[in-house]
Amino acid sequence: MNTLLRAVKIVDKHSPWNGQVRDVLLQGGRIVRIGEALDADGAEIREGKGWCVSPGWMDMRIASRDPGYEHEEDLDSVRRVAARGGFTEIMLLPNSKPVVDAKDTLNYVRQPRPGQPVRVHVAAAVTRKAEGVDFTEMIDLHHAGAVAFTDGEVPIQNADILLKALLYLRPLDSLLINRPEDRQLTLFGQMNEGITSTLLGLKGMPALGEEMMLSRDLKLLAYATEKVGPVNQGNDENSGRNALPQLHVSLVSTARAVSLIREAKAQGLPVSCDVAAHQLAYDDSALMNFDTNLKVNPPFRSPADIAALREGLADGTIDIFVSDHSPHAEENKNVEFDQADFGITALETAFSLALMHSGLTIEDIVEKITANPRRILRLPHVIISENQPANLTIFSPDEEWTFDKSLSKSRNSPFLGSKLPGRVIGVVNEDAQLWGT
Amino acid sequence: MAQLSVRHLLGIKNLNETDIHTILDTAAQFKEVINRPIKKVPSLRDITIANVFFENSTRTRLSFELAEKRLSADVVNFSASGSSVTKGETLLDTVNNILAMKVDMIVMRHSSPGAAHYLSTRIPANVVNAGDGTHEHPTQALLDAFSMREKLGDLRGKKIAIIGDILHSRVALSNIFCLQKLGAEVMVCGPTTLIPKYLPELGVKVGHDVKAALRWCDVANVLRIQLERQQIKYFPSLREYSLYFGIDKAMLDELDREIVLMHPGPINRGVELSSDAADSAHSIILNQVENGVAVRMAVLFLLAQQ
Repeated sequence: MNTLLRAVKIVDKHSPWNGQVRDVLLQGGRIVRIGEALDADGAEIREGKGWCVSPGWMDMRIASRDPGYEHEEDLDSVRRVAARGGFTEIMLLPNSKPVVDAKDTLNYVRQPRPGQPVRVHVAAAVTRKAEGVDFTEMIDLHHAGAVAFTDGEVPIQNADILLKALLYLRPLDSLLINRPEDRQLTLFGQMNEGITSTLLGLKGMPALGEEMMLSRDLKLLAYATEKVGPVNQGNDENSGRNALPQLHVSLVSTARAVSLIREAKAQGLPVSCDVAAHQLAYDDSALMNFDTNLKVNPPFRSPADIAALREGLADGTIDIFVSDHSPHAEENKNVEFDQADFGITALETAFSLALMHSGLTIEDIVEKITANPRRILRLPHVIISENQPANLTIFSPDEEWTFDKSLSKSRNSPFLGSKLPGRVIGVVNEDAQLWGT
Repeated sequence: MAQLSVRHLLGIKNLNETDIHTILDTAAQFKEVINRPIKKVPSLRDITIANVFFENSTRTRLSFELAEKRLSADVVNFSASGSSVTKGETLLDTVNNILAMKVDMIVMRHSSPGAAHYLSTRIPANVVNAGDGTHEHPTQALLDAFSMREKLGDLRGKKIAIIGDILHSRVALSNIFCLQKLGAEVMVCGPTTLIPKYLPELGVKVGHDVKAALRWCDVANVLRIQLERQQIKYFPSLREYSLYFGIDKAMLDELDREIVLMHPGPINRGVELSSDAADSAHSIILNQVENGVAVRMAVLFLLAQQ
């Protein structure tokens, strides 16, 4: 099928056409021509006022529910939800049941779905069952296609496990992802510790819990990065990679955490990080009515934390936006607050929330959901240029839309019913396209 | 006829000063009623009330039940042990089953903060919070305020020290809200680990020296040390707590003026209060219990008018 995107604005810092309004002709899953007033030549024409096209968006933090919790989301529904949110590539966390800690589960989750525009990547667990005790066979999982390693929704508590994982993964040039949370300091915690948690009688999760664990993780990273003595220089060269350990800090939420990562980057540590788009949308005072759809981990913090996250996004300390899509069944959310699960269904609203709350330009937001996650995960770069594979998201940033119905199997979003900026028009991934969800 | 600004009693947080005075004034009338030879009035004759207790309680449940019976309401009691809850039924299902049997009001105690709020947004009946985890226990705060007012008159400018485990106490939080709305000054006192870090933001004084707190206050409201809620360690032992934070009669006698001693019960004798202090002339602990029935009658009566 040939498609002509008529007069779309190209949003891609890495493209020579960045910022220009052009026609883009797609043929056989590739971009064949970019120009002005191109002849459609039988191609299906797609056009609309204010449409933009960017490389297909990538989301590297999605809770996996298949296998094990297919009633909350399965591998088909997550693709539909992702496409509607504008994503052509997603990475699933390993916390399904069973956990992705061996090749059989990995292969099950990675099965391609021909004809669907969303490609699924998988992060495998660092430890068996993500229990933080015994390592998974990481080299084997790496060669079987795991794009990164993380215990996902379970932060790694044991310092030695984290250090050994950093070292073990180094020759593979594979990424270790950890969400920093000291679970002794946050035990039984339900929301951010502050005046609101005090007023609600809910056990707080202090910002300290994130910051202490992050400091520890960064110290371990520094240790794992250190090269001792000139003799060792270049010892890792035959791996053909830069052979540095790579730590990705997921779901930064506090001001101090942003500064810690800023300092670490300034010292040259190989660290990157992401923030959930919804983290910018609420501070903890929004929980005064015990709305379990606002129960997330890390929790919504203070207005000062949100301001610091925005600064971190602006100066590049925070590399990536993630959705942190975490679907939960009605019976796990429509319950007493301390009984409810953490998380929201976020894929469909992530871009709109970034647009609404980050203060970044559209171009900068796109960078944080296209080039940056792919670079950090060592996935092939996607660029809008002639003779490139067509991996595209078409969107209309000035158009409002109403999030009246989710395509997810779960309904746990505080944004259902809201009017949001930035409508996704469609996604293209080589031969597969999905329009006008 | 005086009316409340709310349909449910979820917490003192949700009441305004007028509501509190309305409840306390109504309670004064009911206190007179329950001291008559015939203690019963027909006010809630057509109303059915379910006392739904998902957590153990003797005094509060009994107090509510007596209040309901003295208002001539029909009463059913439900407690979680031996109920369907242990089979995994949700709170909402349990309560909807009770409501299907034509119940008009729910009095609920639950271990989850916000449980009463949760229920109130999902069912048609009036909800009275009889304690939700570490959040609020509004009728306790109201009966405490009633008892203080009875003893001291207007609470504006009065100094109240709340002593003990503030962190795990719904009584403390409701008391703070209630007393501040009535114009009293509040201090909390206890081990640093049992006082929420952010409490001073509410304009509450924080102290760690019980003797100093006793010297400062007009009323000492002493809280139970709740070992059962402490799955995390907050202090080393009851012995040490009692030695450094417990109150005995000698400490009360040392003061240059008489203060009022209160406790929401049940008392751990010899831990937060010695027996001679609990039984002293300072203590109005049993008056609190008596007033509890009158205050709960007032709350149920006023909510039923809504």
